[in-house]
Amino acid sequence: MTKIHFTLNGEKTTINTDPSRRFLDILRNDLKLSGPKEGCGEGECGACAVLMNGDIVNTCILPAANVSGKDIITIEGFSKTKQFTAIKNAFEEEGGVQCGFCTPGMIIATQSLLSKNPHPSDEAIRIGLSGNLCRCTGYDMIIKSVKRAAKEGDGLW
Amino acid sequence: MVNHVIAGTLEEALEYLSEGTYRLVSGGTDLMVRHRSWANTPPEFPFNTLYLFKLDVLKGIDATPEAISIGALTPYETLLHSDAVPNLLKDSIRQIGGPALRHVATLAGNIANASPAADAVLVLITLEAKVRLRSVNTTKDVLIGDLISGPSKTNLKAEELITKVLVPSASFTHTFFKKVGGRKADAISKIAFAGGALVKDGIIKDFKLGINAVNATIVKVPKIEQWVIGQTVKQLKENVDQLIEAYDEYINPIDDQRSLKTYRRHVAHNLIRKFVNTL
Amino acid sequence: MNTISKSIPKRDNEDKMKGTALYTDDYHMDGLLYARTLRSVVARGVIESIEMPKLPKGYTVVSKEDIVKENVVNMIFHDWPVFAGKEVNYIGEPILLLVGPDKSVIRDILKKTKVHIKPLTPTFDYSDSVVHKRFEKGDPKKAFENAHELFDMTYDTGYQEQAYIEPQGFLAYPEEKGVTMIGSIQCPYYVKNAVKRTTGLSDTKVRIIQGEVGGAFGGKEEFPSVMACQLATAVQKIQKPIKLIYDRPEDMETTTKRHPSHTLMEAALSSEGEILGMRVHIGIDSGAYIGLSGVVLSRAMIAVSGAYTIDNLDVSGDVFKTNTVPNGAFRGFGAPQMLFAIEMFMLHIAVHLGKDSDAYRMNYLAKQGDKTSTSGTFKDPIIMEKMIKRAKALSNYDEKRKAYEENNTFKGIGMSWFLHGCGFTGSGEADIIKGRVKLHKDTHDDVHILIAAVDMGQGPKTTLRKVVAQVMNMPIERVHYPNPDTRHVPDSGPTVASRTAMIVGGLCARAAKNLKNTFKPGEAQTVYEDYVQPKDIKWNDETMQGDAYPAYSWGVNIVEVDIDKDTYEIDVVHIDSVYDVGKSLDDRIIKGQIDGGQAQGMGYGSLEVMTHKEGSIRQKGYTDYIIATAVDAPPMTSVVMDNPYALGPYGAKGAGELTLVGGAPALGKAVEQAIGRRVTKIPITPESIMEMIDND
Repeated sequence: MTKIHFTLNGEKTTINTDPSRRFLDILRNDLKLSGPKEGCGEGECGACAVLMNGDIVNTCILPAANVSGKDIITIEGFSKTKQFTAIKNAFEEEGGVQCGFCTPGMIIATQSLLSKNPHPSDEAIRIGLSGNLCRCTGYDMIIKSVKRAAKEGDGLW
Repeated sequence: MVNHVIAGTLEEALEYLSEGTYRLVSGGTDLMVRHRSWANTPPEFPFNTLYLFKLDVLKGIDATPEAISIGALTPYETLLHSDAVPNLLKDSIRQIGGPALRHVATLAGNIANASPAADAVLVLITLEAKVRLRSVNTTKDVLIGDLISGPSKTNLKAEELITKVLVPSASFTHTFFKKVGGRKADAISKIAFAGGALVKDGIIKDFKLGINAVNATIVKVPKIEQWVIGQTVKQLKENVDQLIEAYDEYINPIDDQRSLKTYRRHVAHNLIRKFVNTL
Repeated sequence: MNTISKSIPKRDNEDKMKGTALYTDDYHMDGLLYARTLRSVVARGVIESIEMPKLPKGYTVVSKEDIVKENVVNMIFHDWPVFAGKEVNYIGEPILLLVGPDKSVIRDILKKTKVHIKPLTPTFDYSDSVVHKRFEKGDPKKAFENAHELFDMTYDTGYQEQAYIEPQGFLAYPEEKGVTMIGSIQCPYYVKNAVKRTTGLSDTKVRIIQGEVGGAFGGKEEFPSVMACQLATAVQKIQKPIKLIYDRPEDMETTTKRHPSHTLMEAALSSEGEILGMRVHIGIDSGAYIGLSGVVLSRAMIAVSGAYTIDNLDVSGDVFKTNTVPNGAFRGFGAPQMLFAIEMFMLHIAVHLGKDSDAYRMNYLAKQGDKTSTSGTFKDPIIMEKMIKRAKALSNYDEKRKAYEENNTFKGIGMSWFLHGCGFTGSGEADIIKGRVKLHKDTHDDVHILIAAVDMGQGPKTTLRKVVAQVMNMPIERVHYPNPDTRHVPDSGPTVASRTAMIVGGLCARAAKNLKNTFKPGEAQTVYEDYVQPKDIKWNDETMQGDAYPAYSWGVNIVEVDIDKDTYEIDVVHIDSVYDVGKSLDDRIIKGQIDGGQAQGMGYGSLEVMTHKEGSIRQKGYTDYIIATAVDAPPMTSVVMDNPYALGPYGAKGAGELTLVGGAPALGKAVEQAIGRRVTKIPITPESIMEMIDND
């Protein structure tokens, strides 16, 4: 058992746990969050994604040890921001949500992308979303959602 | 009973390694998948683990005229945004996993993992890059091609850790990187090709070539490269079949769940030919 | 009415985006236990003994000995056991559940458990036929006797894994002397009826609640009943809440997939190259248990002539049992297999005759009034000619086709024409499902839609609320549609077969009209509406003759490809498509179905490779089973043309499956043009393209 200190959605947090545990398990079982989800457990689908120091990471393959000292934002925390509102409106308009299971991860990916590249090309959007699998939409409407968010949220990133 | 420890400093890490046997974990993306277990049970690590992710001293990029020195724990995504990193290396990194993976995966992790299908490592070996190995008492530089001895096998000693990746500066007039995966992003290579050439006045002054996933280790043959250097581009194009035949001796792929040995060999030949045609 | 198609915001979007929508694994309960499945590692054998370490207190085995009533999962064909009987028949077959509070302990006990199985010889080829069906149209014997020439080809299709991003799972708990289950499911009543049959619990003692579903595509149609029967038995025995959630490798290796198929097509041709008749045999691989494979076979056989009218047909099919994971429902349900065959066959006949394939097949394009493959009638208008014209214009088809005809461009463009029968095959709606919907108006005059249809992303919570709101001329904010809970909703039938908009929506529209006409403000009112078979739709299930479906939706897909000359990788450059779904109940939702279905169609045709080695599935996760990423997704342009169906709500027909079934043949034809070799097998991979080129 090791004490691991990090910031979670703006709050200083300490957990005392086996440092090899998956951070996803800590979020879902210890901290009872429902936003980050398990789709594959092998870092392929992105449903478990959160922002770590502003960058998208997959928590199903992130050992708790590596969260030490980091600033973590899950969809729960991100959904309170202005950037989320812009992204939400865009996904709404462009039909980027069907079953919703990939959606929190897609929104995290969108934020990670736009925070570094506020006016991405179509190609950059596809690459930004390349680690998030969706089985329902065929991606076109999600790509259009991100494009719209960048346009209508101009100035937020 | 296994032990999991987080290193706060490089010295602490080297101390741990001198006193016990630990599996080094940087990003963890490979180990966490390899030893995955049921949700909400810890990964089934049959060994002690030492987490290096906090060691910022091992992150960062330094360039001198002779070489680029890359901190072994610099995440891939950081390398993509650095002007000092050679284009050929960036080309290979661009197609590794997705953004989430590239934010935590590192060269050290990939090198130590020693997969014959590794992409960035393919470029490093092609460019004759070295790693700096440190233990409590020693520091030494080793060619990555010599460090990796087989699939998932390295000559890294139990007390050593990789601190830097040293990439010799090279000026190429032509570079070519091509990865063939199961899809356009986030895929493991069925085969990948890296090539660099310096052509001046129609003469090949430098030539480097590497292919992954066609043998137990990455294929790079200095002997063949030496044979090419000094030829004119015209001559090499005429000799391309001979070049392919020479590499074919080292191309010995397998069938696996990703692809067939016939395909890998076929594509290796095509890519060698394609690279030569670009010169 | 044009306004129904206009898109409106989906009410479920916000919770899904915020991460507060609750999927099955998001539910927590005090004292929750966990279950894990012990499975066979042998493809076929007799279980001789099970050696398990001594169980600590609080850990319980649940196996076939604990089944109260029947060790059978209620499905169409009842051969699938809840837990393996004396024999195991596939690698991964569930033998028992181990239930307890600490997952690490469960994991370790199962690791140390030894199952002694005496191996028997497994079957992997198409030799053990367990279902045989046959039908004829016209006089095929005469057609073949009169033929100037016979031409035949065989076509093969592989597995396809639904790969929904949310793995399968249930949370079950004891409630009021019965069992309540929250699950990721398409068919609450399928699960309820299965649990009743296995546990012996009475109707009021089994309650099934749909949790939010993270994708399904048919994979959660009948398979969840298997898990539910196991878990309900466990709750019956232990009387505590238990969660059973599969992890991805388990889900990928052991749940149902699309049936692989092998089809032989023979054409009897006249001296002018006219198709006098066809003789077709399709074999599908059901895996170890039949389940609903017989119905998949039926739909595949009925799709034999695709979008064409062929006057004389001799159609037969077999379900072959093998010692592999049992296969089941996946969007299309037998039609994708057959549509690939018939589309490629029409191309190959034309090429064989030296004729232009599009001009040739135009002669056979089905028209209103034509007899269907099963000698029913295409009763409604068919606008395929207009759709084909539109699709060609959208994609510049004629110009590109000509340009790519040259050898060695390694570029190609292919066009598929197809249909999909809406609703349950044959007389299922009337004889088996007998759907019923319920509308309840509360004292505030809000209306609640109480049906068993599951919104798994395809949007009935939006489209059906629109239908009711529009019929009743009331604001949609006051129409509610909760996730089905069998305690509160009647059985409107399973969420399958592209029936939800057309049939369930149709019932909701009629119920809404009834409620509107009897509306009493401020009073609580309830109306029911039951399915009535349209009088002119007659079907004989034994002979497979008559109208197999009440309505058909139609489609045209045009796929353009560019193949890398060095690596043979296929780049899908663009997909252009035109669809007739009667009437779109929401344009944005329909586009979502189009894009998503087409992406899966492309996967079926190329990216998605799944194989087994001696009965063991080789692709155990998203690393090895390749589905498209955002970088792979081709740009897609689509048009929906109105062709209202009288019995559908506002003219709507089915759309859910149609958008997948035409993709692979269009892709196959494009690849065939690009590489100048006959395509007869999917998935097409760079490796198979290399082999097709090298084998010349």
